[in-house]
Amino acid sequence: MRTDDLIAQLSGGLEPVKGGAVARLLLGATGLGLAGSILVMLVMLGWRYDIHAAVTSFGIWTKLIYTLTIAAFGFWLVERAGRPGADMTRPALLLATPLLGIAFLAAAQISAPGADIPVLVMGQSSRTCAINVLMVALPTLAATFWALRRMAPTRLTLAGAGAGLFAGAAGAFVYCFHCTETAAPFIAIWYTLGIALSAATGALLGRMLLRW
Amino acid sequence: MIAQEAQYRAWMLAALAGDAGAYRMLLAGLTRHLRGYYARRLDSGAAEDAVQETLIAIHVRRATYDPSLPFTAWVYGIARYKLIDEYRRHKRGATVPLEEAGDLFGHDEAEAASARRDVTKLLGKLSPAKRRLVQDIKLDGVSVADAAARTGMSESAVKVTVHRAIKALGADVERKADDADR
Repeated sequence: MRTDDLIAQLSGGLEPVKGGAVARLLLGATGLGLAGSILVMLVMLGWRYDIHAAVTSFGIWTKLIYTLTIAAFGFWLVERAGRPGADMTRPALLLATPLLGIAFLAAAQISAPGADIPVLVMGQSSRTCAINVLMVALPTLAATFWALRRMAPTRLTLAGAGAGLFAGAAGAFVYCFHCTETAAPFIAIWYTLGIALSAATGALLGRMLLRW
Repeated sequence: MIAQEAQYRAWMLAALAGDAGAYRMLLAGLTRHLRGYYARRLDSGAAEDAVQETLIAIHVRRATYDPSLPFTAWVYGIARYKLIDEYRRHKRGATVPLEEAGDLFGHDEAEAASARRDVTKLLGKLSPAKRRLVQDIKLDGVSVADAAARTGMSESAVKVTVHRAIKALGADVERKADDADR
């Protein structure tokens, strides 16, 4: 086909694009992904038995706020990664805030008088926590990849890592409703490791699955 | 800031609102830049394919343009991605250096074409035999020895002829420039 004909064809059938199309695509994918992640959590792990008591405890709010903040910056990172020529520096730098926050809180709990450090760090579920977070994150990771493939990521590994980070944090958020750990050092290590595993998975898959 | 940014961005915003006329102008304008960009990096068949693929990608993914960001950077991001994709498909180990969007918009295929026209017009002032020699040696890279063998002239005669022809053309251009100044 001649390029002039192609231009005539593309401009001939032009449809207007509604504002916020990318945001709607990503929010839709997030909704679908979260539904999948919640399903995985409920079917394979189950609600934490003490959920009614837990919602008033400090520990669960630490976890929820920590994972939600990472998810929010991760969402922003994915939104930037899907747009050619957009800068990802700001959301990437802002990720330091929740990390510093949880590190500060963990340090405070460990250095408190009478702290039982092995319990604070290892809890009851350190062996399964990170893998469970990754498992719960996978549906959201798949949905985020689906959305990114409809956008235009130009740095595929980075975009995949961003998607994995977002999905990992969203998965960790959902996992909070199963897990009974409350210590900040535990969260800082094992939740973060789960999110990092998800980001690494996304980075590895990005090069293969995000091409367009 | 890229010179064309304001005009192209205005066309793009109109196109996103559904203005087909603005969109056609935009794509036609971008095609000139894309041709120059790919022609300098790919062979001619692959270059035109890359131009078309990029136009299609711009069309299909136009919703990813964020109006608060420079439009030329968005287009350049897509053009560069398509170039890397083309290298990857042909298993060329080439790396694409991180350039600026100016690399896409700095050269205009129309400018190169008008420069080619100027050269052709200028060469027209020479006698056919001299024109052929200048064309062969200065533009097409034929060696002096080959040109000498073809014309039956000695190598030094070829060199002198070409040298004088270039000098004459240079004097001609200077005279024209002087006339224009007056």
